[in-house]
Amino acid sequence: MANINNSAQDRTFDAIVIGSGISGGWAAKEFTEKGLKTLVLERGRDVKHLKDYPTTNMYPWEFPHRGQIPEAIKEENPVVSRCYAYKEDAMHFFVKDKEHPYVQDKPFDWIRGYQVGGKSLMWARQTQRWSNYDFEGPARDGFAVDWPIRYEDLAPWYSYVEKFAGISGNKDGIAHLPDGEFLPPMELTKVETYFKDFVAANYKDRHVIYGRCAHLSEPQQIHKEQGRVQCQKRVLCQRGCPFGGYFSSNSSTLPWAEKTGNMTLRPFSVVHSIIYDEQKGKATGVRVIDTNTKQMTEFYANVIFVNAAAVNTNLILLNSTSHRFPDGLGNDSGLLGKYFAFHNYRGHISALYEGYKEFTTEGRRPTSAYIPRFRNVEKQETDFLRGYAAGFISERFSFTKKEGFGHSLKEQLFNEELGPWFVGSHMMGETIPKEKSRITLDKEKKDEWGMPLLHVDMDYDDNDEKMLKDFFEQMTEMYTRAGFTDIKTSDSKQAPGLDIHEMGGVRMGNDPKTSLLNKWNQLHACQNVFVTDGACMTSTSTQNPSLTYMALTARAVDHAVSQLKKGEI
Amino acid sequence: MLVSRRTALKQVLFVSAGLALLPSCFRKTPPASIKLRNIVLDADDENVLAALADTLIPKTNTPGAKDVSAHHFTMTMVDDCFKKEDQQRWLEGMKAFDKLCRDKYSHAFEKCTPDERASLLTTLEAAKADTDAAAYFYQTSKRLIIQGYTSSEYYLTKVQVYELVPARFHGSIPVKQPDRRTA
Repeated sequence: MANINNSAQDRTFDAIVIGSGISGGWAAKEFTEKGLKTLVLERGRDVKHLKDYPTTNMYPWEFPHRGQIPEAIKEENPVVSRCYAYKEDAMHFFVKDKEHPYVQDKPFDWIRGYQVGGKSLMWARQTQRWSNYDFEGPARDGFAVDWPIRYEDLAPWYSYVEKFAGISGNKDGIAHLPDGEFLPPMELTKVETYFKDFVAANYKDRHVIYGRCAHLSEPQQIHKEQGRVQCQKRVLCQRGCPFGGYFSSNSSTLPWAEKTGNMTLRPFSVVHSIIYDEQKGKATGVRVIDTNTKQMTEFYANVIFVNAAAVNTNLILLNSTSHRFPDGLGNDSGLLGKYFAFHNYRGHISALYEGYKEFTTEGRRPTSAYIPRFRNVEKQETDFLRGYAAGFISERFSFTKKEGFGHSLKEQLFNEELGPWFVGSHMMGETIPKEKSRITLDKEKKDEWGMPLLHVDMDYDDNDEKMLKDFFEQMTEMYTRAGFTDIKTSDSKQAPGLDIHEMGGVRMGNDPKTSLLNKWNQLHACQNVFVTDGACMTSTSTQNPSLTYMALTARAVDHAVSQLKKGEI
Repeated sequence: MLVSRRTALKQVLFVSAGLALLPSCFRKTPPASIKLRNIVLDADDENVLAALADTLIPKTNTPGAKDVSAHHFTMTMVDDCFKKEDQQRWLEGMKAFDKLCRDKYSHAFEKCTPDERASLLTTLEAAKADTDAAAYFYQTSKRLIIQGYTSSEYYLTKVQVYELVPARFHGSIPVKQPDRRTA
């Protein structure tokens, strides 16, 4: 990288993208492809595809603790240690609690990935579209504010990002879970297929479908051009994939942006704030703290995309104060940081199935089956608002008996036996954004880089508890009727945040008095600043949100560039 | 030589009191062969674990647990992945195991005959880990030794082969009854 700190001119770009995760990577790709000189700022270190996946080809026996996190690390970092993917093979991609403190006014497990690629390296890769049943939810059910967009606004952009990212799935023809541009789906197991057929025959409005996921089940030309090949079913995704088998910024959008010659990627760059020019009435750049030297440098551009991941995007805007915006950039409504929400992942159910003993599976699969939302879809029918989707998986595990000792024990260990079909689901519930669920900045305490410490203050509510109860009841009934046995439900009681689907705080809406962003993801009050990560979400629905961030980002960049050309921003 | 339990205990107490006073460099027993961060184990302790590994999963025509260093894995896991109170319990259990062995056979586990080892382990297989310290040590160590063995390079390349790159997933295939393997 050239020394870009020399003069203001050297520090001036056409566009600045804050963050290099799943949405920032898309912003980088879109801007650079359209010919804009783009600065991509990443607070963490660089992680280059192929080069920086140190554990990717390691065998189980090469990990001293066979994947387990040592107790001393767990004790020092209780939050991240609760994350399912925080294991010995991928721990280097997760932020340790100790290194980046925040204040939990109520318990909130904030899972972060501070590196180039962000959490797109370790995400769970499930990708479903929203429908108008989701976008019209707040207006129909009277919460939050109406979304300023509808499915029709986003549908072409879903198609656009799906083709490039590569999404495996099946066209199911479900109105509230629209079909996409799918590569072939991953197979279902025998018992998953049985349950799919059982549900179709016995429940009019319920479906069990092939999981839709960002894996190259059958790579197309566009994927080959990215240097990515077919998913090899390793299911070691969280280590970074040397095949580019799943979509990440590192394997896909960032190298694509790099190839244009228009991208300047600057790791170790914490964005302190966005610079607002009172005369011009718009943002002119950002203040960046170099994490190594702790020096502050300004960078300038005509348009700024904030893709720092939901919570940190709120932090940057709240910290961007000026005479015009004393309470944070674009915060005329006073709602910045409020109406934050997440997904309710507390419910789990497991069971066994005694049938189909003569069948099993072979190889590994990076996804499972999926049960789209079936509660309150067409109209309100329960005593809680909205609903939940669920994962569905059925597989057989091999085990060995471990009785006694000596030669007989060794014989047992040498001869694996096939267990029964295990069956399980987890809940993905929509939560209702509330004004009191919010992110604020500490007035005094600062972190190592001089940024104010974040406060997170949110919790489950009565609606979430009722929905959890309904999940247990409905799933237990479906499982029972399908002939599953040994059914067990459990409430993980996990804190909000551990779903890693935190959303909101900078919500979209039609009215500047009740929202921060317009229908193009521009701040109502500062139109050359866009937010297209989780922070922009007006409501949460039940779908894994990343695909929607990608589509919103590509759409917003397209709009930004056309406005720039017309001199409108 | 038969020694009364009282005399044996006295000797043990005398010796350990003496050891406590001596600087560690004068101690006869060298430290364990692998570096530990949290717990202290010496070569004798390591020998007990190695003998236990060898007894649980013996070398036959194929390597046993000791050959794949499952006893070292056990030490590493207790040292790094156990909570303090569980480490303490395991260490006390190891002492109880050693004492049980010496009380019964007047020598350490690794000096025991195959019959003596079998008799001791049969007792501990049946004992309750939550009330019996030696059983806790035995059953916990057995679990770790099995984990170390079944996740070893030998086991995952020669017994149940681990595929780093399966490159396939089939959701529904007929179960084939595998041939019985001889260990």
